[in-house]
Amino acid sequence: MADELWRQWQALAASWMAPNPASPTAHEWPGAPGLAALAEGAERFKAAAQSFIDGAAGGSAAVAGQAAERFGEFLREQFGGTPPPWGAGPGPAGSGTVPPGSGFDGPALGATREYQLRWQRMSEAWRRIDGAQRHLQRLWSDALREAAAAFTAQWLGQPVPGQPVQMPGPTAPPELYDAWIDCAEAAYARMAHGEAFCSAQAEFVNASGQWRQELQALIEQSAKLLDLPTRSEINTLSRRLKSVEEHLRAAAPAVQRAPGAAQRTRAESAQNTTHAKRRGAPRSRRRAKP
Amino acid sequence: MSSGGLYEALAGAGHGAVGCSPKDLVWQSGKLELYRYRPIARPAGQAPLLIVYALINRPYMLDLQPDRSLIRGLLSAGLDVYLIDWGYPDGADRFTSLADYIDGYLAGCVSHILQAHGLAALNVLGVCQGGVLSLCYTALNARQVRNLITMVTPVDFQTPADLLSKWVRKIDLQSWLGEGNVSGDVLNQIFLALMPFRLTQQKYVQLLTAEPDRARLENFMRVERWIFDSPDQAGCAFRQFVQWCYQENRLVQNRMQIAGRKVELHAIAQPVLNLIGTRDHLVPPAASAALRGQLGGADYTALEFDLGHIGMYISARAQREVPRAIATWLAAR
Repeated sequence: MADELWRQWQALAASWMAPNPASPTAHEWPGAPGLAALAEGAERFKAAAQSFIDGAAGGSAAVAGQAAERFGEFLREQFGGTPPPWGAGPGPAGSGTVPPGSGFDGPALGATREYQLRWQRMSEAWRRIDGAQRHLQRLWSDALREAAAAFTAQWLGQPVPGQPVQMPGPTAPPELYDAWIDCAEAAYARMAHGEAFCSAQAEFVNASGQWRQELQALIEQSAKLLDLPTRSEINTLSRRLKSVEEHLRAAAPAVQRAPGAAQRTRAESAQNTTHAKRRGAPRSRRRAKP
Repeated sequence: MSSGGLYEALAGAGHGAVGCSPKDLVWQSGKLELYRYRPIARPAGQAPLLIVYALINRPYMLDLQPDRSLIRGLLSAGLDVYLIDWGYPDGADRFTSLADYIDGYLAGCVSHILQAHGLAALNVLGVCQGGVLSLCYTALNARQVRNLITMVTPVDFQTPADLLSKWVRKIDLQSWLGEGNVSGDVLNQIFLALMPFRLTQQKYVQLLTAEPDRARLENFMRVERWIFDSPDQAGCAFRQFVQWCYQENRLVQNRMQIAGRKVELHAIAQPVLNLIGTRDHLVPPAASAALRGQLGGADYTALEFDLGHIGMYISARAQREVPRAIATWLAAR
């Protein structure tokens, strides 16, 4: 088993470190979708990086620039799907779609006025979510462009017109990959610390929360029609229970100071110890309410 | 060549046991469990050490495996170690507040240990968010804490490098959370988003391309399990923590209140050891270092380690240096 594992690691590493048509490829990872996606991405990166190296090294500055541009575009496309915080960004449902309830934008009138208003609020929240997502996507794309530019500039150095381009650092795909991750994280960090990103992210979260709350209220309204318990009702009961517990906790010191309390405590303690011994539990173990 | 064997090895390693040192459950309250670790060395004669872990993530990170265990290191130094496991809050815990955690659960643990040992005070080691809880508890119950150790603990929540803080400052917590708990999955997404390229891609590529060592693979999978074994957070306590600490930065300004009692850091006059990871991306070093000058006592020691947040728990260097630093510091007091 260990030998087999070793051979598999070697084969995978070989496919990563050097071109090897016989090595396993992404589609040979049945039942391991996460690994397959990673391996597939790694293979795409390796091919693109090799193309960049071949195109840039020893060529003119113009040729190297074209290779860098192609590689930069690849990087932006390849990593554009990485999810930003809270699921905002490229991909989630809602972007570019018609918000639900968009047909309820007129004045709310009549017996269904409250329902119309709720749908309008949901529609407005949806628009805000969509706007925030678009803003985040733009920032994300800008960060990837900045990262790609920084990466190719770092690896091409400063090309001199008319002179062949010298690659200043190691040119193996794994090293390129690590360098790319460094550039991507640096660009992402600059964006993520920025006011524009923080504001857009907050807008996305706040609007999503508003939409969810309106949806919950809508569902609870339907539940009431069927006389089903709702989360709001359970919350009310939970708060009452907690209030009782807090009163009990606050009253505990006074109860312990009351005449006869020490004797009762000793008796209860002896009883607990007896029970614990019968159960075979450790003697010092106790269960208590805070 | 089939790759099924490798996949099976990865999947099998995912079931590796975590929490390696023998321990006994000594007290329970609600979902909280208090454990006492069995000694493995001659007692050092110190007061018991209560480890207060964060509400976020699980405490077995401190005892992951025999060669990566802060707790084992402390036991080897002869310390008498207790650990709080806060459990997994569910919907019934949504109104559990910071006061419940500090004045109720944490106070219950301290009370149990003091009674069991017949002592007036014990030593406390607060880890990450648990360090904040420990600071609050110590400030409010100074006589019960003999020495306080904080590890990767934020004190100033609005330092320039604190990305989490910048992200949450404009968020309307009532809109975001309502009255519900906070899903551990949501928290995982947020933490991954701090360094998305490294945490969602590079580390897996490195796993696939590194030396095919089974022990290394199992180490990786144990940490992976811990990272994503994220309890939901009791809604009320989480909202209070985010609002009071991240949004309003009350702790370092002595404006925090627990059950109506003001938490003043200068009420902490006992010796304090502050352990800081200089490459910590979750709790920036400056956020921890801000404790200096806030305390009421003169016996303050800050030790910096060139480690990240998780590295402070499980790196080889941490195993060598952190338990020894704690034991040495305690022995001198």
